[in-house]
Formats: sequence, structure tokens, C-alpha cells
Amino acid sequence: MRILGLLAAMAGLIVLPLISSGYVVYLANLLLTFTVLCLGMHIVIGEAGQFSLAQAAFYGIGIYTSGLANTAFGWPLPLSVLASGLVAALVGLCIGTLALRMRDIYLALATFAFGEAMQWVFLSWTPVTGGPNGLRIPPASLLGFEIVNDRQAYPVVLAITILMIWATVVIARSRLGRAFRAVRESEVAALAMGVSVQTTKLAAFALSAFFAGVAGAMFAIYSTYIHPDSLGFQTTILVLTMVVVGGLGSFSGAIGGAIVFGLISELLRQAPSYQEIIYGLILIVFMMFAPRGLFAFIGDNLKRFARA
Amino acid sequence: MRKELLKVENVTVRFGGLVAVNDFSLNVAQGTIHALIGPNGAGKSTTFNCISRFYQPTSGRIVFDDTDITHAPASEMARYGIARSFQNLELFNELTVLENVMIGAHVHCGGSLPDRLQAKPPAVMRHIEEVIERTGLGPYREHKARNLDFGHQKLLELARALAIRPRLLLLDEPAAGLRNREIASLDRLLTDLVRTDGLTVLIVEHVMQLVMSISDRVTVLNFGTKIAEGTPQEVRNDPAVIEAYLGKEAAHA
Ligand SMILES: Nc1ncnc2c1ncn2[C@@H]1O[C@H](COP(=O)(O)OP(=O)(O)OP(=O)(O)O)[C@@H](O)[C@H]1O
Ligand SMILES: [Mg+2]
Repeated sequence: MRILGLLAAMAGLIVLPLISSGYVVYLANLLLTFTVLCLGMHIVIGEAGQFSLAQAAFYGIGIYTSGLANTAFGWPLPLSVLASGLVAALVGLCIGTLALRMRDIYLALATFAFGEAMQWVFLSWTPVTGGPNGLRIPPASLLGFEIVNDRQAYPVVLAITILMIWATVVIARSRLGRAFRAVRESEVAALAMGVSVQTTKLAAFALSAFFAGVAGAMFAIYSTYIHPDSLGFQTTILVLTMVVVGGLGSFSGAIGGAIVFGLISELLRQAPSYQEIIYGLILIVFMMFAPRGLFAFIGDNLKRFARA
Repeated sequence: MRKELLKVENVTVRFGGLVAVNDFSLNVAQGTIHALIGPNGAGKSTTFNCISRFYQPTSGRIVFDDTDITHAPASEMARYGIARSFQNLELFNELTVLENVMIGAHVHCGGSLPDRLQAKPPAVMRHIEEVIERTGLGPYREHKARNLDFGHQKLLELARALAIRPRLLLLDEPAAGLRNREIASLDRLLTDLVRTDGLTVLIVEHVMQLVMSISDRVTVLNFGTKIAEGTPQEVRNDPAVIEAYLGKEAAHA
């Protein structure tokens, strides 16, 4: 049953660009990008239990690294995607070393402050980011072909997403994934089991930055323009809402949340000033009434309904 | 003469003005069960926390298998072969019994990258399954730790510690809150671990029936100071011990 569903989803994803309009393909690219962003946040918050609020900053670092790799160095696509992830992870490692001395609300505040600082850097570092004018992102090239529209970008974006989902699953089942959850559940017990708690937190932080950086590179493949305004706290809150609504700690929830909320955010694009308020409210409502996420909430209620 | 596996030498622990452990020394011989008893607040858990490196002694030395571990980090203890349980359960609550025990085997899941990526490393799984069977947690393998009843949660603490494949096992009140039947099976399990697996156990316990039945040696702490040491028989009849537990009148009665 599960396999069939998976195959159906795969088939749908593959034929999608053949049967739909350009806008739908653009939307699909965007949702896949959000999926990878959410997977990153899922690793650091859902798996390792460390409240990081800097996802948008790492996403931005990924986008600009990709832009730079394309224009200045003319790197091939796989290399620039990898570079985007690695640069973000490196910055994550530096910030993590400082921020992970703190925990809970202090960690959240420190990473929030870093995110704000990065947005300021994006606005000011005009040679790289275009500053307040934004940046035209040149087309990426793969094996000599230039990717000039959403339809051409789609297979590449899809392939990267599948790769990142696979990586998330492998990490979750590995020794490192077990260490993440051990640290989340009890730091003292983790220490007694020989888990280096600090290193493990740092690994989660750097990995999540890597995912966000790759998401940035994905965005750069199909987008032609980026402005620092869209790399601020509201993007982090959006991703956080996706992960919380999907169900913290649930990997498929993170993907589901990305898709549902990606669509909602696209609907709300006409009303940008209300977005933060709306996400904030949704976030609070979910934390209060459905802390295990939308999908678990629906599942529980369906079960109750079936029993009645 | 058995080898002294653990040596606690003149350890003192101060918390501000309070002296929780006072110039305390203890030798634990390899392959024995050594009990550390004493009234509430005597400093037993504090001593445990020093040995497992969660607390730093104010002064004194801790030597394990001829290696000075007084300044080693807590996360290294599993690699040395020192495992502990926690007096107030510290389980990975949202994880299954199997996953809890697997994390216990963390230090045995290292090696090359492909080894580290394995969801169920075969070499380690055999031992993990054995530990789960021996502690009687088999039927609960896929249950979340937080959904177990108290007795099984206590057993899971023990199972997780055993997954470390320790040479020294530190148990902080493993029998607290257990039913008589559960205490009897804990008694058998610990005895078996020492007799057939050659484990060394240092146990803090208030359940005297268990202490008297399994211990080779007993050390008694009161207000952070050692007041008696010897076989269970010797300690049971020691006036200082009776006084510490029951008050002055009882000792002279
Ligand atoms: N982290 C700490 N900070 C301050 N005081 C502490 C700390 N840990 C323990 N103490 C104090 O040290 C003394 C010894 O405590 P400890 O927990 O070692 O006693 P115990 O022998 O384990 O008692 P119990 O049988 O009740 O578990 C107590 O007075 C306790 O309040
Ligand atoms: Mg205690």
C-alpha cells in the first residue's frame, strides 16, 4: 500500500511538467525547495531538539553562493549546489560553536540575532548581493545546457530533493541520528552513553545549515531574482510553521507541512504584511492544540471517529 | 587477592558551605558486588556522580583500572567501560525500548563511515538482543520508554547500561519502587552478571533485603563520611550503623 502510494507520487511528480502550466511548475519547484528547507529544520529542531531560528540566513547564504559560483566562477551546477551547502554549513559551524553554548530560549534568541545580522549583511554587501536593489541570478548551466525556465529546472530540482530526502532518512537511521535523538531526549543520559553532546549538537546545526544552503542553490536554479527582504525572519517563521504543523520530530510531517504551507504562503502572497501574523497565530494554535502536528491530529481524530 | 578495579581516594565534594562527601575512600574489587548504603542525603549519589564524572570532586582522586580518571570527561566513561543508571529515571522517553538500548551501544557502533551509517549493525545487534532478553524486555521492544510501567522503566535503565558492555556497573537505587517479585529477579540477574560475565557492580540501594543478599562488601556513608565497611554481616551488627539508621536509643537498646 505504502509502496503503491510512493510509486503513484513519483509518477505524478515525473509527468507534472508535461501536463501543467508554467505557473504550476514554478510552484512545484518552490514547494520542493521548501521541502529541503524543512528537512534541514527537522534535523536540528525535530531530531536534535535544538531551537535554531537562523534557517533563512543559511538559505540566503546558499542563494548568494550559487549566484557567485555561476557568475564569477562559472562553476557547473553540481559543484555550485555542493558549494552552497558547504559554505552554509561552514558558517553554521562557526555560529553553532558560539550559539550552542546556550540552550532553549537563549539559543533561539542567539540564532534569531544571527539571522537578523545576516539579513543586514545581505542588504549591505552590494558587490555580492546587489544590496537593496536585489540580485539578478544568471541562469545555471548543466552539462553545457543553460537552464532558462521553470520547466527545465524542474527535473534537476526534483532530483536534488529526492537526494536530500534519501540523505535525511539515512542520517536518521544512522549512529548520528540516534545520537541526535538521545541528545534531544536527555543530555545527561546521552553523556553517560558516551555521546559527545556538544559535537552532536554542532553536527545537527551544521547539517541543517547544509540543507538550507542546498535549498538556496535549488532556488537559484529556477529563479531569476532575489531580494534580501525575502531572507528575513518571516521566512524562518514560515519554515518553522511548516515543520511544527507537519509534526515536530516527524520526517514525513516535515515534507507534508512544506507542501501544505508552501501552498498557503503562495495564496497569501497578495497580503505580505499579514503573513507573519497569520503564521504566528497558526504556530501558537498548533503548539497548544495539536503539538504532534496536523497529520497526527487528523489521524487521531479519524481513529476516534471510526471507533465511535 | 582480587584486583581493585575502582579506587576512590580521599574524595571531598563541597556545594558552597555544604560538605556532601567528606574525605571518602573506597576500593571496589573486580568481579564483586559492592554496596554503598546510608541514610537519605548521605552523599551516595554525589559519590556516584563523581565516579561517572558528572560532578568534579573538590579534592581527591578517582582511579579506574590503574588509570586516573579524576579529570576525564563524562562522555568518555562509556569507552572506559563504566556504565551507570540514574536514581531518577533518565530514559529517552519518546524512543522505543530497542532504540534506548541501541543508544547504550553507541560506543560500539563507531568505526568506518559505512559502519556508522548502518541502522542495525549486525555485530552490535546480537548483544543488544541478548541484553533485551536477559532483562525481560523482549515483549516491549517496540514500546516507547514513557509508556512502560515503572518496573520496566527501571529495567530499561539497567538494560541500556548493560548495552555499554561495561566492566564496572554503577547502579543508583535500581530496586526503588519495585515489587518483591521484581526485586527477586533483579537479584538473580545481578548475581548472574557478576558470576558468569565477570562484571563488577557498585550499587546504591535502600532495599536492605537486596543489599544483604547480593553484596560481597558493604560501605556505609553518613553525612558524607564513611562510618563502616565490611561484609553484610559485619555491617548489619555495627552499632554505628544501627545508630545512623535508627537513632541513638535503638543502638543502645
Ligand atoms: N548539585 C548539587 N548542588 C547542591 N547540593 C547538592 C547537589 N547534589 C547533592 N547535593 C546535596 O548533597 C547532599 C548529598 O546528596 P546525595 O544526593 O548525594 O544523597 P544520597 O545519599 O544520594 O541521598 P538519597 O538516598 O536521598 O538519594 C544532600 O544534602 C544534597 O542536598
Ligand atoms: Mg541518591
